[in-house]
Amino acid sequence: MSERGCGNDAAAYALGALDAAEVEAFERHLESCAVCRDEVAEFSGVVAALPMAVPQHPLPRGLRRRVLREIRADPPTLAKRRPARVPGWTMQRFAVAAVAAAVTVGIVVGVSSGGGPRLIRASVGQATLRVSSGRADLVVEHLPPPPSHKIYELWLERGSGPPQPSTLFSVSNADRADIGVPGNVRGVTRVLVTEEPAGGTSRPTDAPVIVATLS
Amino acid sequence: MAHIYEGDSRAFAVVFDRHGAAAFSLAYRICGRRGLAEDVVQEAFLTLWRARGRYDRARGSVRTWILTLVHHRAVDVLRHELATSSRDIHDDGLSALLPAGELTDAEAERRSDAALVRGAIEELPAEQRQVIELAYFGGFTHSELAEMLEIPAGTVKGRMRLGLGKLRLALGEAADAVL
Repeated sequence: MSERGCGNDAAAYALGALDAAEVEAFERHLESCAVCRDEVAEFSGVVAALPMAVPQHPLPRGLRRRVLREIRADPPTLAKRRPARVPGWTMQRFAVAAVAAAVTVGIVVGVSSGGGPRLIRASVGQATLRVSSGRADLVVEHLPPPPSHKIYELWLERGSGPPQPSTLFSVSNADRADIGVPGNVRGVTRVLVTEEPAGGTSRPTDAPVIVATLS
Repeated sequence: MAHIYEGDSRAFAVVFDRHGAAAFSLAYRICGRRGLAEDVVQEAFLTLWRARGRYDRARGSVRTWILTLVHHRAVDVLRHELATSSRDIHDDGLSALLPAGELTDAEAERRSDAALVRGAIEELPAEQRQVIELAYFGGFTHSELAEMLEIPAGTVKGRMRLGLGKLRLALGEAADAVL
């Protein structure tokens, strides 16, 4: 532990070098430690500069054409405009657990300013949804990692409207993780998780592995 | 980015032209194989396209977002490859580097910043540079590095902290500028 009593986790966190369980614990710690939040912010700026040190190569022939062809073929449905929660973008990593058997997922969503968080168990998958002040987090335990070239995608349903893509997350080898749901979840009636091709999709293509109903 | 939000694939092509080579170079540095790096870049830009409505300027530049997507995906691919095959990842013969050629002002500035970052990294004590490079470009966790280097995990994290702190001082505002 350092002289601050917070350990050296900020640098390892910014570099993506903590194990999944450590990420979860450190992110909980960050909620109450301004010193570590400042360190993470500073170190994240440094880490974001590291790609600049890489030797630069020309694009392989044909890659531009393949990417643009795929983009043009992609359905034009727009994701709802909100701050993105992209893995690692703000160095808050999507830590999820990998244990082969049971799936336990907790989703935390905030609804009230005075009554504390509301906890909701998922009807599909073992899950808990906690709601507090319009914010939501997904806590995952024992969720098997997605197959190669797959990723988990989280969706928000409002009333009878189609599910809106929210965020992507992967699973590494720990047995518990929290995933913050970006944006405000007021009006959300169901939270779903599906397994999708890497990169995510604009519409679910598979049956949900997790369903939590907020009613 | 506003045009991309509206679904303008031509505007997206401009973004790809501006950042594609940097994305590929980072992916190739991490994956070590041309084919894997191409897949990573393709997936990262598709993710960017699909998530375009969620871009928040306040949280960083488009370039930072793209390179973070690439880094995350490349490390995932690398770890998967290492888990399913031998750890013998090697260069497959890609050798061409971008020519100096005629540089735009933006590109010249970028190369100047790149030289600054490279210089700052090279100035680090070897043991600090080692853990930072292995973690970021190699995708190793601190516990894996501790085992590999036969030193305590706390020492690995301490070296990371010291190294990033020194880089922070050396880069100063340059680190902020890329965000």
